[in-house]
Amino acid sequence: MSWPGHFGWTLVRRPAGGLASLAAAFTLAALATGLIGGLLFLAAGAAPAQAFAALAKGAFGSWRAVSETLVKATPLIFTGLATALAFRARLWNIGAEGQVFAGAIVAYGCSLQLAGLSPWLQVPALLTAAMLGGALYGALAGLLKVLGRVDEVISTVMLNYIIVFGLSLLLLHGPWSEAGGFFEQSAKIDPGAALPKLVTGLRVHLGFVLALLMAVLVGFLIERTPLGFEIRAAGSNLRALAFQGARIGRLILVVMALSGALAGLAGASELLGVQQRLKAGTLVGYGYTGIIIAILGQLRPLGIVLAALLFGALVNGATLMQIQTGVPSALIYALQAIVLLAFLIARAATGWRLRRLAHAG
Amino acid sequence: MLADLLEPAIVISVLAAALRIATPILLAALGEVVAERAGVYNMGLEGTMLIGAFVAYFVTFQTGLASAGLLAAAASGALVSLLFAFMVVTLQVEQIVTGLAINLLGAGLSTYALRAAFADAATVPAIGFMPSLPLPWLAGLPVLGPILFEQKLLTYLALLAVPAVAWFLFRTRMGLELRCIGENPKALDTKGLSVPARQYGALLFGGVMAGLGGAFLSVGSAARFVPDMTNGRGWLALVIVIAGAWRPWRILAAALAFSLLDALQLQIQGVGLKLPFQLLLALPYICAILAMILLRPRAGVPAMLGVAYRREDVA
Repeated sequence: MSWPGHFGWTLVRRPAGGLASLAAAFTLAALATGLIGGLLFLAAGAAPAQAFAALAKGAFGSWRAVSETLVKATPLIFTGLATALAFRARLWNIGAEGQVFAGAIVAYGCSLQLAGLSPWLQVPALLTAAMLGGALYGALAGLLKVLGRVDEVISTVMLNYIIVFGLSLLLLHGPWSEAGGFFEQSAKIDPGAALPKLVTGLRVHLGFVLALLMAVLVGFLIERTPLGFEIRAAGSNLRALAFQGARIGRLILVVMALSGALAGLAGASELLGVQQRLKAGTLVGYGYTGIIIAILGQLRPLGIVLAALLFGALVNGATLMQIQTGVPSALIYALQAIVLLAFLIARAATGWRLRRLAHAG
Repeated sequence: MLADLLEPAIVISVLAAALRIATPILLAALGEVVAERAGVYNMGLEGTMLIGAFVAYFVTFQTGLASAGLLAAAASGALVSLLFAFMVVTLQVEQIVTGLAINLLGAGLSTYALRAAFADAATVPAIGFMPSLPLPWLAGLPVLGPILFEQKLLTYLALLAVPAVAWFLFRTRMGLELRCIGENPKALDTKGLSVPARQYGALLFGGVMAGLGGAFLSVGSAARFVPDMTNGRGWLALVIVIAGAWRPWRILAAALAFSLLDALQLQIQGVGLKLPFQLLLALPYICAILAMILLRPRAGVPAMLGVAYRREDVA
């Protein structure tokens, strides 16, 4: 495993990256991102130190800021977990984006039927409905893979585009458009369907607790259950798993459905916890960002929660940064991708080391 | 109403529109097929196209020269693909993950650059429409003239690239070597020919083509840049490579089939047929899935597509 080196040196892959190399990769990625981010600040005509300070203050400067950071992190925990669950089985579910929409759509549809009932009934029922919606949309891609041999990357991306038009069909002069409304959005949901706030006066809601609970559950599922064993086995050697008699088609369907259910919860959490109404623009991007979160979190629940908190802070802090320094908050989405690329490069680079060729003496 | 669609003038304009719509997808797909024949699955087309689209728009806006914009877009595509190649060929990072990361980078960076460049402007300024380039004599032909020969520069380029890529892949030594990498890289390596160098080359070509494809969207047709304006065309290019069985002429056929559908749905909206427009807009994506189901046998897929080539450890 080596490339021909120059001057008698060669690159050799390290046997296994330990915790130290992981830490080194994170440090390198953080440094690189800080450097590139600083350059992008300069390009926008702002002093990097001032912009970073505004970013941090916006994210953590007050209880209100911390609460908003948690609000922004909540859907990302769900989509990060959704992506990780599938990626652990080497199922490339890029469809969390669309499954978030599916969850929100089904939850909203059910909320119309349950309006007026007790919150104790509505909230659990609607969360279940959202999981079901996400699960069905995820399983659809699974079905296409099992029965139609359609690559799940392609099918999930296509389904992501399709459902946006589907939602528009419902909301733009459709059955769900707000009566007399001007915008492409639904009316507000029944107050009894709203997720309760954790602290009065702050927006952080039950969805955050649910997200943490799901992180624990997903960890347990992957590490401690027979299904989790099959998921990990599929991730390392699908062929060996098939030889052992595991039903691969069923496994694909189950994993895609579970992954979709988690993403669906992100949709419900935004709909019932934050927006109180269905609107496409408020659901966009969580699925794709979830992919970054999952990879930075090393496909592990704890890592995903930490990465989601970091990204929640970035997104939340960006608002104050834009107000104080004029740097467009869209910078954050570029920075998120740069963090991911820097991490991937650093992770791979710390997995190699230079070695002097013996014969080059 | 549907009979209106068969009027000769409408048929001609639908076919001409189909060629126009096919251009960005065809450019990206012809670049991608070279990379995939060399065993590398570049899923970062969407992001590369977005960067190309922005760079083309911005440079054209600054210089007033569409040609400068196109060159810059090609260069930016090359730069992005160099990053991609470094990651997947040299560092051997998972190809799918790297491609996704490039897509996120393209979407984020192009949106940020647009906002940063026009922070003070109320609206993003438009650039002049790129004129069509009627070919002398040929454009005067009946029927064929208005369909084929009154197109824009990049459309001619995309069409010419079909035979060029086919010739390169199947009639030249370098093409043979590339295809060999996709099937059996070790065979090439043991002959002392560098696998990574060829994969870098293939990816660079793919990047240039994707950058030009993006440029066609901004400079070539919309005359401005809009965030996420590629709208999945990079992904459709990947579908078209599969639907075209990794062969340039079939890729042309697949691209034309898709774009004909798209051109028809525009016409259908035009004649006022009462179909929800969202359904028509979703049609290309639905058809992409259907195409993937119908093309199950997957003839022609390079055996080592997506698998990083590693030498045995010699030390």
